[in-house]
Amino acid sequence: MPKDAEPEKLTDYSEDGVDLTLIRWMLSLTPQERLEFLNERVNEIRAIRELNGI
Amino acid sequence: MEFSLPAILRALVEGRVEFVLVGGVAAVLQGVPIQTYDVDIVFSQEADNLTRALAVLESLDAVFRIQPSRRLRPSVSHLSGSGHINLLSKDGPLDLLTNVGENLRYGDLIGLSQPMRIGEGIVINVLNLKTLIDLKEQLGGEKDLAMLPILRQTLRESGGK
Repeated sequence: MPKDAEPEKLTDYSEDGVDLTLIRWMLSLTPQERLEFLNERVNEIRAIRELNGI
Repeated sequence: MEFSLPAILRALVEGRVEFVLVGGVAAVLQGVPIQTYDVDIVFSQEADNLTRALAVLESLDAVFRIQPSRRLRPSVSHLSGSGHINLLSKDGPLDLLTNVGENLRYGDLIGLSQPMRIGEGIVINVLNLKTLIDLKEQLGGEKDLAMLPILRQTLRESGGK
């Protein structure tokens, strides 16, 4: 690479504001792991809602 | 009691129900970082499949979600009709859809799905991300349009167009 060449610009967000780091992290998981992660969050959020009487 | 979305899918597979997973869980399985609470499936309305589906719904203790306290259970006539059947099972919310988008049914969607392994010996057909995006674009509601950027970016990051 020439000395004055610009390094590739790394960005965490797309132009429309989507967090690309989260997408890349999700894509690093297997489908089974993604489903387990989702299910854990569902139950955690339900528990918090119950704690708050919602 | 805790919900188990994997248990719902496992029961459907073990009960030999023919279905395609659509909606938010289908998106999550393909790497879209969103939160959702229900399992949405489009099921085959072949008579044998309705019998198998009813048996699984019974095992999941599924009742209509609109008034769960009344404990109303779906019947063959509900499953053989049209539209959406929104249920609450012992393992969480489960929506049975007879069609999506422009009247796309199980037979139309199975070829647009991909098998995905979600557990030991458990493989389900998941509607592909490109088609999920197409459906959201067709629906065009505020909630659907809001989802489009994250769905499209995930498709790009995963090597799709």
